[in-house]
Amino acid sequence: MEDLNKHVNTVNTLLARYGVRFGIYKNGEFKEQLFPFDPIPRVIEADEFRYLEKGLAQRVTALNMFLADIYGEKKILKDGIIPEDFVYSSSGYLAECEGIMPPKGVYSHISGIDLVKGKDGEWYILEDNLRIPSGASYPLIARDLCRKASPHTFINNHIEDNRDYAILLKDTMDHVNTGGINVIFTPGRYNAAFFEHSYLAEKTGSVLADANDLEVVGDYLYYKGYGGQRMKVGAVYRRVSDEYMDPMTFVPDSVIGVPHIFEVYKKGNVALLNAPGNGVADDKGIYYFVPKMISYYLGETAILKNAPTYLPIYEEDMNYVMENFHKLVIKDVAEAGGYGVVFGDSMGSEALEAFKETVRKEPRRFICQEVIDFMDLPILEGAETVERKADLRAFVLTGSDVHVWKSGLTRFSRNPDSFIVNSSQGGGFKDTWVLSR
Amino acid sequence: MGIISIEKANNLFWLGRYSQRVYITLKGYYNGYDEMLDKNGLAYRTYCEAMNIPDVYGSKENFIANYPYDTENPDSIISNLYRAFDNALVMRDYISTEAMAFIQLALFDMKNARGSDAPLIALQNTVDHLLAFWGCIDEKVDDVETRNLIKLGKTVEQLDIILRMKENKANIKRSFDRMNSYMRHTDISYDEAGYYALAYEITRDTVDCEKALDILMNIFYI
Repeated sequence: MEDLNKHVNTVNTLLARYGVRFGIYKNGEFKEQLFPFDPIPRVIEADEFRYLEKGLAQRVTALNMFLADIYGEKKILKDGIIPEDFVYSSSGYLAECEGIMPPKGVYSHISGIDLVKGKDGEWYILEDNLRIPSGASYPLIARDLCRKASPHTFINNHIEDNRDYAILLKDTMDHVNTGGINVIFTPGRYNAAFFEHSYLAEKTGSVLADANDLEVVGDYLYYKGYGGQRMKVGAVYRRVSDEYMDPMTFVPDSVIGVPHIFEVYKKGNVALLNAPGNGVADDKGIYYFVPKMISYYLGETAILKNAPTYLPIYEEDMNYVMENFHKLVIKDVAEAGGYGVVFGDSMGSEALEAFKETVRKEPRRFICQEVIDFMDLPILEGAETVERKADLRAFVLTGSDVHVWKSGLTRFSRNPDSFIVNSSQGGGFKDTWVLSR
Repeated sequence: MGIISIEKANNLFWLGRYSQRVYITLKGYYNGYDEMLDKNGLAYRTYCEAMNIPDVYGSKENFIANYPYDTENPDSIISNLYRAFDNALVMRDYISTEAMAFIQLALFDMKNARGSDAPLIALQNTVDHLLAFWGCIDEKVDDVETRNLIKLGKTVEQLDIILRMKENKANIKRSFDRMNSYMRHTDISYDEAGYYALAYEITRDTVDCEKALDILMNIFYI
């Protein structure tokens, strides 16, 4: 591994060469940044990965069943497992999706599940991302470059090859394709994850398209050729969020959506990956109920634990939250990307009291969690190795079966005092090695 | 890839144009620099006039120091390279990450060359990476239509600059023929009457370069 560390600058230079960046908007201005790569990988032993694999597959299976149920029979609500208003007041719930069964019944084709490993050795799920989770492309390209920079590292360690991600993704698209080409639908060049959209299009042999390239004619979606030809689209891995996807159904002034695409989807004439309306299942509030879903749909105990979570809408939880505010992390359920996260111990007494009042007034808006003292991972800082907080985004692809990718995106905080690992907040990334034995 | 959208055809065409513009203007910069070393210190003015670039430089020293690198000036070489890069970046799935990376490298080279005490040598890396980009397009892009659209852009740009520079008839004819060969193998829409007018102009004994350029600028619907 030391050999790989020597090549850190080379690998980062190559990442820059290949345009591996992410975009951020700051003060209304778009800026692209390199995503700093740290060569010391997160290593997951084969046995440990088998455990994670089982737990992640279980979780995603239950979440898919939940989505089918919520937009279908709603048994879980009728049986009182999850309070109704919790579902219907979720910003991710889309009434327009009621009664729609996506092709092959899959809702969350590409799931990004965020986990951390506690200092107690236990893995905890932090959140589920079932809408448009990004990040797989970074360890994918980094692995390729690391193998070139330090072949001996890969000869001497038994590491599962993660470069099958594009094949898995293509298989996932092909499985639900209704007849036609596969398209990756991007909001465009100025989206934060544009690198990933274009890279995955190249690697899966899909066509990268924005709204101008697509049109609905009759009951079908087509990719428009410049010579007047059209090609039918059978599957769309869309990286445009639900609300902007179709101005005829959702936000009417969206200029990045394709008019009537939702109608085509509704008629079963195109697959949308991930399905619209998935936000109801990855709502930070619904997260609390995932272990109950697993038990309800699968009759099993959740293999992977949630971080201990409190919902202030419940009186008992509200009381606990008020008494222990200073040691909890409070998350705004409507926010993402590390925003809307406040640590009780970071607030002065006045701010803390004011925030408590906000939680009292808007209990549905927040979830409160115990701060998981998660493991630090070593990172290179110049010639030194220092310890930083890191999480893992595992990718679960659901097609003909549920497949947990033998890798993942490990993000770390570059700030020694921070638990926030998001790239948009200055974090870096590592490769995730799953050992084959 | 099978099918190319209007927007992507546009990107491919302009990728070809801008990358070729950078290549030719760098060559022009080399020649002009060399000429100004020991004789015509005002050669850059003739160049600016021919290229329809406002002479904002005022002196050959200023031209030499800024024409390649000034990101604030839309006519600088680096501004055109940025445009090539913007078109390459969105076409990764058509032209490959490898080919796109050569435009990225050319951009890095040009930034690094600024302030060099031997700019002609420092800029050689940009030229090399542009040539590598063209080689990579031939090597990595299997789709003929994609290649032809980029090369059509490239040859249109070459003809454009050759006409601006009022080069000799043989060079003009050669550039026109090259453009023609790619144009015939794409589905690009063009003004047929304009095309024949250009072909006629170029076959005349004395080519009216301004007139030919004027026609060329309005032929393609892209």
